[in-house]
Amino acid sequence: MLDLLFEGWERPGIRRPFLFLLFFGLLFWLDLSAWTTGEGPFALFGVVPEEGLGEASALAARALPAALIAGFLILDFWLLSFLPLLWQIGLVWGQLLATFVLFVYAFDLDIPYIVERLPIMIGTGAVLTIGVSAASIFFACFIALAGALARLSNSGPAYAIATFYISFFRGTPLLLQIFLIYLGLPQFGVHLEAVPAGILALSLCYGAYLAEIFRAGIQGVPYGQGEAATSLGLSRSLTLRKIVLPQAMKLIVPPTGNQFIAMLKDSSLVSVMGVLELMYLARTQGRAGFRYFEMLITAAVIYWVISFCFELVQARIERHYGKADKR
Amino acid sequence: MNRKTLLTAITLAAGFGVAQGALVGAVEAGEVLDRVMESKTLKVATDPAYPPQSSQKPDGSFEGFDIDVATAIAERLGAEVEFVTPAWDVITAGHWGSRWDVSVGSMTPTEQRAEVLDFPAIYYYTPASFFVHQDASYGSVEELSGKTVGVCAACTYEDYLRGNLTIDAEGVPPFEFLVEPGEIRTYDTDLNVMDDLRLGDGVRLDAGLSALPTVQGAIDSGYPLKVLGEPVFYEPLAVATDKGDPEFDAKIQEVIASLHEDGTLGELSEKWYGVDLTSADK
Repeated sequence: MLDLLFEGWERPGIRRPFLFLLFFGLLFWLDLSAWTTGEGPFALFGVVPEEGLGEASALAARALPAALIAGFLILDFWLLSFLPLLWQIGLVWGQLLATFVLFVYAFDLDIPYIVERLPIMIGTGAVLTIGVSAASIFFACFIALAGALARLSNSGPAYAIATFYISFFRGTPLLLQIFLIYLGLPQFGVHLEAVPAGILALSLCYGAYLAEIFRAGIQGVPYGQGEAATSLGLSRSLTLRKIVLPQAMKLIVPPTGNQFIAMLKDSSLVSVMGVLELMYLARTQGRAGFRYFEMLITAAVIYWVISFCFELVQARIERHYGKADKR
Repeated sequence: MNRKTLLTAITLAAGFGVAQGALVGAVEAGEVLDRVMESKTLKVATDPAYPPQSSQKPDGSFEGFDIDVATAIAERLGAEVEFVTPAWDVITAGHWGSRWDVSVGSMTPTEQRAEVLDFPAIYYYTPASFFVHQDASYGSVEELSGKTVGVCAACTYEDYLRGNLTIDAEGVPPFEFLVEPGEIRTYDTDLNVMDDLRLGDGVRLDAGLSALPTVQGAIDSGYPLKVLGEPVFYEPLAVATDKGDPEFDAKIQEVIASLHEDGTLGELSEKWYGVDLTSADK
């Protein structure tokens, strides 16, 4: 059955009708018949009277936009296939972006409202979000390295502390950890301001996840590498620094980048302590004038730009540690 | 496990327990008034998500009725006001330590909250009203029985809809449960209710229940809603403090009383709500 599907996929004569039916079915199910009436984008086809839809014309009103859009998509894919690969990628990105913009545009956003608030969103919100995330991932990496090494060590207490720490911080919600650090620590006379408390909570939480990533990375380096280094007379710490870690980095970097992007958005949880980061400002600024979507979409775009920039940085780091695999 | 191992383990565990026990219990008490007077700053917790009580301006500063009241309280205490913005849940959780001194946040003094917070003084009363889509044709509040009503989760409005709201504060007129909704949908905040109701009459919701000033604010900002009937109950709203400093509570009480008497509160209410909400007698 699966083989048949893969085989059919190879042949455009089967793939295209199949895709068309798939898109058509999906769009038919969504029911875009509103698009054919009044001011809808397909109103100029004007086949459907607004009042008194008969059974047949109601079906037509549903089928028409579905068929048009599905047909357009298939035609689009077919035309794209004549272009070089890079062009294809660029054009499809452009088309998807345009669809997103159109979707956002449909909210009828109040642009001056957004522009008036951009300075605080970027100057305060984005700066805090990036600052808190960057500081947290920095500390988390050290915690994670210590945690991974402790987990791999033969020392009882070290192993116990590491596994307890990883188990607790992976097993409880980040929000609760933030509450414990922000409201719990003052009960013992320890007062951390909101931003350091947030960085501490994020570092501890992500340190636990990263510790497992680091452990997997270290264990992913063939055991023989360490043995060979030992037989050459390298000390244990030198073996770790010069032989194991550089090779482990290649395995560690992609999932760590993933964690950083996740943290970028999880950092919005520190807003419960009143840190004026992006998500917090999006909510309060949006509520001030009952313009919720304006500010949420603004925040979404800013988050996206930040993580897009980070993806580029990550690609560079990956290239650096992947040099050994280049031929 | 042999006996020696067992003995060492027990000793270690016991020692650790004692050490931890010594750490706990270092909670400060009764110092809020001294702190405010010494530092000449009053740290006020506010949640700037509720215009016109408290909201944030584009430059990051705050404005609203609660903000003005907090500023007036600080003035009477001879202190500068400073705002901190923890989440509402964090404020109502109590155990503030010394993170902030007081909450001027239109908080209803419920029994559960009184277990972790003190409520030295009520400073105004909000009318709670049902609202519907502007195209809806309801004539009275009672017609909403059996309908789908949206409300903020774990707030007094939800308690009212479920018929288990009790308010025993002075100056609050008695009220009746006029509506038995067919379905109660709860949301993060009142604004989510309005966003769902604006989609159309009966699309997701038939009606909502919230503070009249909040509903009016939404309508003024272009939400297609209308207030239905008279307010169904008046909710007392109080200044909250952390447990454990009666002197500070007494001082706050005194300040609020003087703000009531000389009409400052009434003026601020007129400024932000257009009506005097500082007493519940209508």
